Formats: sequence, structure tokens, C-alpha cells
Amino acid sequence: MAYQNKKVAEVAAKLKKRLNDLDNKAGILKAHELKALYDELPALKPEQRAAFGKELNNLKSELQALANEEAEVSNKVEALDITAPYDSNTPEDKHPKLFSVDQGSKHPLMTELATVLDIFARMGFTTVESRQIDDDYHMFETLNFPEGHPARDDYDTFTTTDSLIAPAHTSTMQNRVLRTYAADLAKGKPIAVVIPGRVFRNEDLDARHEHTFYQLEGIYVDKGIHAGHLIATLKTFLSEYYQKEVEVKTQPFYFPFTEPSFEFALSCPFCDKAGCKICGEGWIELLGCGMIHPNVLKMADIDPKVYTGFAWGGGIDRLVMMKHDIEDIRHFESGRLSFLRQFS
Amino acid sequence: MKISLTWIKEFTDIKDTEEELIAKIGAQLGAVEEVTHLGKRYADVIVAKVVACEKHPNADKLSVCKIDDGGKIKSVKRDKDGRVQVVCGAPNVRVGLTVAWLPPAAIVPATYDKEQFRIEAREIRGEMSNGMLASGRELDFNDDHEGILALDKRAEPGESFAEVYKLNDTIIDIENKMFTHRPDCFGILGVAREIAGIEQIKFTSPEWYLKELDAFKVDGSPLKLEVKNELPELVPRFMMVPMSNVHVSKSPLMIQSFLQRIGIKAINNVVDITNFVMALTGQPLHAFDYDKVAAQDKTDTATVIVRHPKKGEKISLLNGKTIEPDTRSIMIASRSRLLAVAGVMGGNDTEVDFDTKNIILECANFDMYATRRASMSNGLFTESVTRFNKGQSPLQNDNILAYTIAWVKKLTGGAVASSAHDIKHLKGWAKSSGFAVNKPVTTNPIFINERLGLSLTKSEITKLLENVEFIVEGKGEELEITAPFWRTDIEIAEDVVEEVGRLYGYDHLPLELPKRDLTPTAKNSLLEFKAKLRNILSAAGSNEVLTYSFVHGKLLEKVGQNPEIAYQLSNAISPDLQYYRLSLLPSLLEKIHPNIKEGNAQFALFEINKTHDKTNTHEDNLPIEEERIAWVVATDPKISKGLGSAYYQAKYYVQHLLSSIGIDPTFESIKYQPQTDTGKQALAPFELKRSAYVKVDGKLLGIVGEIRQEVSKNLKLPPYVAGFELDVQMLEEYKQPKVYQPLSRFPSTEQDISLKVELKVTYREVVDIVESVLSAASQEHGYHTEVSPVDVYKAKGAEAKHITLRIRLTHYERTLTTEEVNKLLSEIAKVAKQTLKASRL
Repeated sequence: MAYQNKKVAEVAAKLKKRLNDLDNKAGILKAHELKALYDELPALKPEQRAAFGKELNNLKSELQALANEEAEVSNKVEALDITAPYDSNTPEDKHPKLFSVDQGSKHPLMTELATVLDIFARMGFTTVESRQIDDDYHMFETLNFPEGHPARDDYDTFTTTDSLIAPAHTSTMQNRVLRTYAADLAKGKPIAVVIPGRVFRNEDLDARHEHTFYQLEGIYVDKGIHAGHLIATLKTFLSEYYQKEVEVKTQPFYFPFTEPSFEFALSCPFCDKAGCKICGEGWIELLGCGMIHPNVLKMADIDPKVYTGFAWGGGIDRLVMMKHDIEDIRHFESGRLSFLRQFS
Repeated sequence: MKISLTWIKEFTDIKDTEEELIAKIGAQLGAVEEVTHLGKRYADVIVAKVVACEKHPNADKLSVCKIDDGGKIKSVKRDKDGRVQVVCGAPNVRVGLTVAWLPPAAIVPATYDKEQFRIEAREIRGEMSNGMLASGRELDFNDDHEGILALDKRAEPGESFAEVYKLNDTIIDIENKMFTHRPDCFGILGVAREIAGIEQIKFTSPEWYLKELDAFKVDGSPLKLEVKNELPELVPRFMMVPMSNVHVSKSPLMIQSFLQRIGIKAINNVVDITNFVMALTGQPLHAFDYDKVAAQDKTDTATVIVRHPKKGEKISLLNGKTIEPDTRSIMIASRSRLLAVAGVMGGNDTEVDFDTKNIILECANFDMYATRRASMSNGLFTESVTRFNKGQSPLQNDNILAYTIAWVKKLTGGAVASSAHDIKHLKGWAKSSGFAVNKPVTTNPIFINERLGLSLTKSEITKLLENVEFIVEGKGEELEITAPFWRTDIEIAEDVVEEVGRLYGYDHLPLELPKRDLTPTAKNSLLEFKAKLRNILSAAGSNEVLTYSFVHGKLLEKVGQNPEIAYQLSNAISPDLQYYRLSLLPSLLEKIHPNIKEGNAQFALFEINKTHDKTNTHEDNLPIEEERIAWVVATDPKISKGLGSAYYQAKYYVQHLLSSIGIDPTFESIKYQPQTDTGKQALAPFELKRSAYVKVDGKLLGIVGEIRQEVSKNLKLPPYVAGFELDVQMLEEYKQPKVYQPLSRFPSTEQDISLKVELKVTYREVVDIVESVLSAASQEHGYHTEVSPVDVYKAKGAEAKHITLRIRLTHYERTLTTEEVNKLLSEIAKVAKQTLKASRL
């Protein structure tokens, strides 16, 4: 490969030569000459930076490829006939076969999510999955969090060095979903969408706290939608989910993206409000919800004078933990078979 | 936010029982975190008078006292005059003091919530002590433990201590988060108004809070104060007034007690007044020692400047720390030094102490974002910040300062030493109206009712709002609603809807489901497809796992991936979670060793999830989210002997998975790197000579194979490990419905054919030849054919291998003859010989 930049070309020649003498070929990627070139990047003018950066990356890939090649030759791995069904002389009882079905399992979070989505599908909600990397615009701006607003502190968000965000709630999808389905409103159809997804909070791990968990967001927009619809919809869902009539109550709350906002609780379905180790005193605080703030509708070009809607968001992990009486949230992402195989 | 119900009741009646009220607060104001019935812990505490006090005969520091409790406690031992003997170690005990007495069997109030300590009558160095005389700290009444609490109110022996200091109080802790947009609710006054509102009672703010003020009267010996605000954009209002000849001392116990019960420590009367007023109104205040400020500039004039700090400028604070504040912070400074981080914390060298003679009171309004930033960047969290960063109203400072001055006069004897400074840079409506921060909102009952599902009348709405002092004017069908100056949150009609709904009570809303037509909702086919993949693999004995989206940079390096194209977290909790993963397989490989260690001998794990990298982005700069499915198989070395290469097991699962979704893949040797960086990262963990590209119609679906030895070593993998990673979106694109094969009325025939080929000939080449002959014959004669492997054999040291295939032939119209089958096999042998130099065995 020919390099335009003189410095890069020099280093390339030097390092390729050095590669021959190295035992650990991959070590070439850590050469100080290479690092020195990368260190020059920030100081360059933007118009130079792109070209220089590209050359550098090319050099790095080339070295990587050379190092891999070398590594391969040196460890003398025997090649396989990758089109064959098995190795030569494999006795019939050792031919590849599927493991027994009773050894398999589906992850309990995914199973529960499917159950929940099925109920909402029956209630007329479409499913849209959320993203795992998003930007400030969707995490905060479109949700009526002004820059520097103290409400941003309530979400311990992870950010990337490129100023992107690991979503701290599934509400990051609200603007996209509202925009995608806004045209339906004019046709007289409501927007009815549920949004499952993985969310992230910068929290220390313990038995009750995970930095990675699953949430389900819901959105409903139409003419004449009011707070009574919101409460009734969630109550109906929960009664169906628990297969028994539950009581619900709301507490006023504050979210920038809903007005009014509530914390939503249901009577404990496990002890029927008598008080137990799951609920404590008979009520389970399950999710946050509210009427979609007019600014959020406006950001999606929906006229809040004509249309109103509600939204909610709640954790899936918690539902599963309560259902199976799971003592430690960390089991979910542990990959331990002793945990997983209990959920076929 | 802790509130005292006794304090609240000074401003409003309450109709409900306490229990009902607490339920209503939860439903209509904010989540109640804790309720403390303060009176319980003081039930045993009795007012007593010290009537005699002598030195303890056997101990230098103890006194033997006789107290008069008005004969209140029956079971205690008394002398002939009815007095009770108590031994006391406090230096301030003397005859004539009125004190708080804990009789035998009383619980020490400060231990009430912890491990309760019960007092008993006992001898101390030979003298009987019936209970104890308590200090402020033992009573959890204030922070004083230098001596016993000497009551400063007139009280008769035997009276209940709780009655004297209004301690039969209930403290309700309401979650702060609810009040993020309600600065007024960070004061007792605001909460009292809300409680009146939800009790449907008309609230009237005290006169001092609402009335129009004249200029403050200067009535003290004069002090010169100059004030300059260099940050008009960030400081909409800055008020200061000097007061001279203050006498700083401890506050009256009643004030100390009210501060203590809502979580604020008593310091001295000046500081306590500022805190007391803050607790009442939500408006933080600060008091400076006038002379210390003036001394900094070595003049007889105190100068106060509001400005940003210069780089390198430092300030030592009341909490004992010295900081170099962020240069965007708002600072209060003298000409020569920094005095305070505005709205956050004061400096310790201008602190008001017991020697202070003259003070400056500050009552200001600071930009909420700037205050928050100063708090975060300097790591300072105070009661003041909590209130300022909610955005206090700039229209209440004068009334609150006047009220504070009145308290300072009353408790310290000080007087106003010059006219007050009031530098205003109000904006928008606040500037023009002087009463409201925001423009009046015009709405109507239909708008409000539509959003609540209610049918409230105009007058019902008006009454709900007027109860909390909104000004409501009817204009035809419309209502013009002016929120009073302390309500900074009412800007649009929806805010009024919230207000009406909450004051009316959301639990009274009609519950009904939204109505819609029967049009089916759109289905999410990718989600359904992923569910299908999950079913296939779990039914095939594999275990679904979920692993973190973030991985350690070392894991990327261990498997040969390039961290530079991975999104990196700038605030990762630990290095384990620093990068967004570039492919799923490494996360699964990491789970193998721990599972083997836990005693699992043979298993297959899979995950369906997303991967991201910087080279694969949308136009809006966000990464494209690749949907992947990865699977690994591992077997404990103890039982993997004779199983052959793990590659074939993984390949078998790929074939099973893909045939279940109607894809018949081809497996190609890896002779070149994938074209994209994204693909290169997926390939990195695989051993190229023992892996294959999985393709359909020439399109790459993914990779199956064994893991590089170096990676295996790094991740402590057993020798028998293989896996695959496939692109779920590609699978969905190429999936096919399964095609039904009609059943023949005629029997099928099976025949095996063994071909001897050179070692370099691949199994696929042999099968391809067989299939091409069969396909030609099928076209001609109408056969239906199937080919399956029977055996691959290679004798030790031989240069050739034997491949045995089973051929199944079916015809739909007739029974096949042995002759035509034999002819077909001969034809296969012939073509195989011509093209592959194969010989039939």
C-alpha cells in the first residue's frame, strides 16, 4: 500500500521491517511510532485531519492484517473441509446432532416481554423497538428538557466520547414514533404504539440495581384523549396481565415530557393488598406516566390543540422479579446456566 | 422536603383527619416518603424546676439536684418535701432553671428511632439519681450538648415538654422530585397553600407576603454599602441591606426546634432567621458580617460585586473546604476577594459569628441553570441550591427581605443602617406586570374538561383555582387566568389543566378506555422473526442469554477487534463497561469459562441483540443498529474426546436454524476479509482455516467457525468451542416459506454410493456432482431426489478418502425399477470419475 503522507509512509516502512523480528506480531499495533502519529491528529486543521486520519487507519489495518497473517502461519492450524458434515472417520454416534430440547431455555426477560407485548397487541398497540445508542436531541430536547435543566440530573445517563447517549429511558423513541405515525391521525386512526427496549443508567450494581435493564414505553394519541383514558388503559392491561381485577392509584409527579405527570401504583396482585414481602404495604409503584406535553407533540408536528395523548414507561425486569420472586437483578445478565435453565 | 404539620396549621385549617390528609397529599401533591409522629418521642418528657443543687460528695464534676415536677410522676421516690433527687453532670445546672426531665422508664428521645435507651433510677457514686436532666441533643431538640437544656419559655413544673414547644407535631417527608417545577413548594407557605387547595379551602397568604411595600426605613446607625451587579443576565434581582448593632446569640428555642424538626441545624439567631425564612417561603437568604467584608478592602465602606470568578481565584467555604470555582459560577465578591458562591454557599471569612456587630442581608434571585452548574461543577449541595435550581420567583424578594428585617430587629435588636439596594433586571412579563412572572393564560372549560374527561362548570374551575390564589376572570366562554407571582410554572393552558385536575383529584376521574375502530394494527415482522429464531434455537437445546451492550476494551483486544471504531463511554462505571460491543460472539465466549467452572459439561448459548460501530452510521451521525444472532457451543475437555471438530457442530446448528426458515445456505472457505470494517470485526475472533462464510444467493449472512487459539487462551476456553454470528436482517430478507412436498403413492428407493477421491477434493464438490447428475435425470424422468451423508472415511496414512452418500429416489407415477436406479448410480460414478477422478467402490 502506498501512503501519500510522507510521515505515514516512513513509519509504515519502518514498522513493516520491524514486524519480521517480533515474536508477538500483534505487538506491532502498539508501536510508539504509531501512537505518536495518532497524537498529532487533534492538533491538525480540520481539512487535513480527515485525510491524515484515513491514512493512519489504513496503515493500522494493513499492519493488523500482516500481524494476523503472520500469526496464522506460525500457529500451524490444520485446515478443515468446511463443506463436510463432520470429520473423516467420525463414528455415527458422534455425528453432530441437536441437543435435547429439555436442555434449552428462553431468557425470562424476553419471555415476559413477549407476554406483555401480546396483551398490548390484543389491545390494538403496534410494537416499535427502541435504539441502544441515541443522541441528546431524542433523549432530552424533543422531550422538553431544556439544556441544563435540573430534571436532566434525574437520569444518570451514560454518554459516549462522541457525545452520543446510551438511552436512559425508552421515551427517546417518542419523537420518532409520533412522526412515523402522525399521518394516521389525519385518517382518523389513533397512534397506539408500545416501545420495548434496553435502557442504561449510570448506577452501581447491587441486588436491586442494574445499569442495564428493559423498559416498555407506551404512547396513545387521538382526538379527545384524557387522563381517565390513560388510567383505564393501564388498569385494563394490568388486570389482564395478572388475570385478576387490580385497583390502581396515581400520585402527582413531574416529568418534563408529560403534563400532568403521575406515578402509577397497583394493588398488590400477590397478596391482594394485605401486605407481603413483594409489595410491603399493599401497593406496588410500577411506572411513570402522564398526558404527553404539548411541546412534545409540537416537536413531532402534531397540533396539540387538536390532538392529545398519553404515554407511560415502566420496567420489565421488575415484573419478572416479582413474578418469579427473583432475589437478585444481576442474574439476568449473568449468563449463568443454573439461572437460565429454570426458565424453559 | 420535610414539612411540619403544626407549622402548616398556622396558615390553613385542615378538615380531614391526619390519616385522610396524608392520603390526599400522596394522591394530589406528591409521594409521601415518611411520616413521623414527633409527639410520641416526647410523651415521657416532663418540665421540672431545679430547686436545690449541691456538689456530689464523691465526684467533682457531678451535682446532686432536687427538682420540682409538680408531683406529676407517681411512682418516683421523693423526699419529705415532695422533691425528686437527680444527679446531673452538666456545668450549667443551677437552682432556678426550668429543665426537661426524663423520669425513670422514659425513653431518651434522641434514641427513639434507633436502639431505644430507657432511663432507670440508679445510684451514681452512691447518690440516687431518678432519671436525668436532658441536653438539647439528648432530646433531639437542637444540636446543643454543652449542658442541659434550659427552657426559655414560661412553663409550670409537671407540664408536658411537648406542649410547651409545640412538639405534638407530625413531620411529613414529601418526595422532592414532584416539586422540580414548583419552587413555591420548597416553603411551608407554598405547601400550606396546596394543602388548603386539595382540602377545597380558600387560602389567603399572610399580609406581609402580599402587600405593597414602601422603602425600608433607615433607623440605625449608618453603614456605607456599595453594590454592583456585573451579571444582569444571570442575576435578575439582587437585594442587599446592611443592619447595624445586631446582638448575635442563640435563637429562641422555639425557632431552633422548628428548624431541627425539618432537618436544619440551628447556628445563631441571624443565621437561623435566614434559614427560618427560607423554610417558610422557599427563598434562600444569606447574611454576611459587614465589618469583615469592609475590612477586606481596608475601607469604611463595604463593597459587594456580583461577578464571575477569575481563573485561579479561590474561596474557602463555610463547610471548611477551599475551592477554585468554575469560571462560569456566579460569585459574590468584595473589591479584593470572593465572599460567596452565589445561591450555593457562603465563604467562611465573612461568616456571622457571636462577635458580629453589623451584618449585610442578601435576598437575591439567581439564574437556576447557573446555580445548578455551580453546584454540580463545584460539588456543593445545599438547601439553598435545592431551592434556587427550581427557579425561584424574582417578584417576592422585597417582601421577604422586609419580613426578615423585622425578625432581625425583634431577635437581635439591630436596625437598618442604610437604604436597601434593589438591582432589578427583570425580563418579559415579570418586568411589565410586577405581579405575575408569566403572562395570563386564556383557556375555557371545554379545553380543560376534554383533557380530564370531566364536566366541571366555569364556576367550579374558578373556585378550585381561586382557592390557591389564582386570579380568574371570565370573558364570555373564556377564562383569563393569572397565576400569582410565586407560580413560575404556569405558562400554557395544559399547565392549568394539570392544576385543575390535581386540585379536583385525579382519583375522581372517569375511567374509560379510548375508542377506536377494528382496523388491525401494523405488525412488527422483525420482532416476530426474532421470536421465531429464539424458539428454534431454544427448542434445539440451546440457552438464550442476555449480556451487556458494553464490554471491556481488553475483551475487544483479546478477540482481535479494533477499539478505535467502537463507541466509547466517557463516564463508564468501570473499565468492564467501557465500549459498545462490535459483535456479540465475544460476549458469549466470555460466559463459557464460568459455566464450565460451575459444572456444566456441554451446552450451547445464544443471544439476539444489537451491535454498533463508528464506521457504520446513518446520515444523522447515529450508528446503524445491526441486529445479530450469535451462538456458541462448548464442551468440557473431559467429555469432548472423539467428538471431532467443534466446527461441524456449529455448522449443523446453522443448517438447522436456516432450514427452519427456508434458507439452504452454502459454506465458503474464508479466503478474503469482509469488505466492511463492521464485517471485519465480526470475523476477528474466528480461526480462518476452520471457519466458513455462510451465504445464500451469493450474499453473506454471517460466519460460522472455531475460535482462534490466541482468543481461546485469552478467554480460558476449552478446546471444543465453536460458534456462529449471523445478520438477523439478512436472514429475514432471505427467509422463505417452507415448500410442501406432495406424498407419492409409490414407494421410494434408497441406494448408497461410495466414491474414493483425493484428499483435496471437498465434500461439497462430490455432492455437487451427484446433485447435478440427479437434477438432469430428474428433469428427464420426473424423479424427486434427496442426498444425505452416510460416512466420510480415510484410512491411516492414505492419500485418499471415501465419501458415502445415500440417495433417495421417488417417482409420483410409478414404482422405480432396480435397473434404472443402478443406471443412475453408474452415471454418477462416470461423471465423478471424469471431473474429480473419483473411483466408485
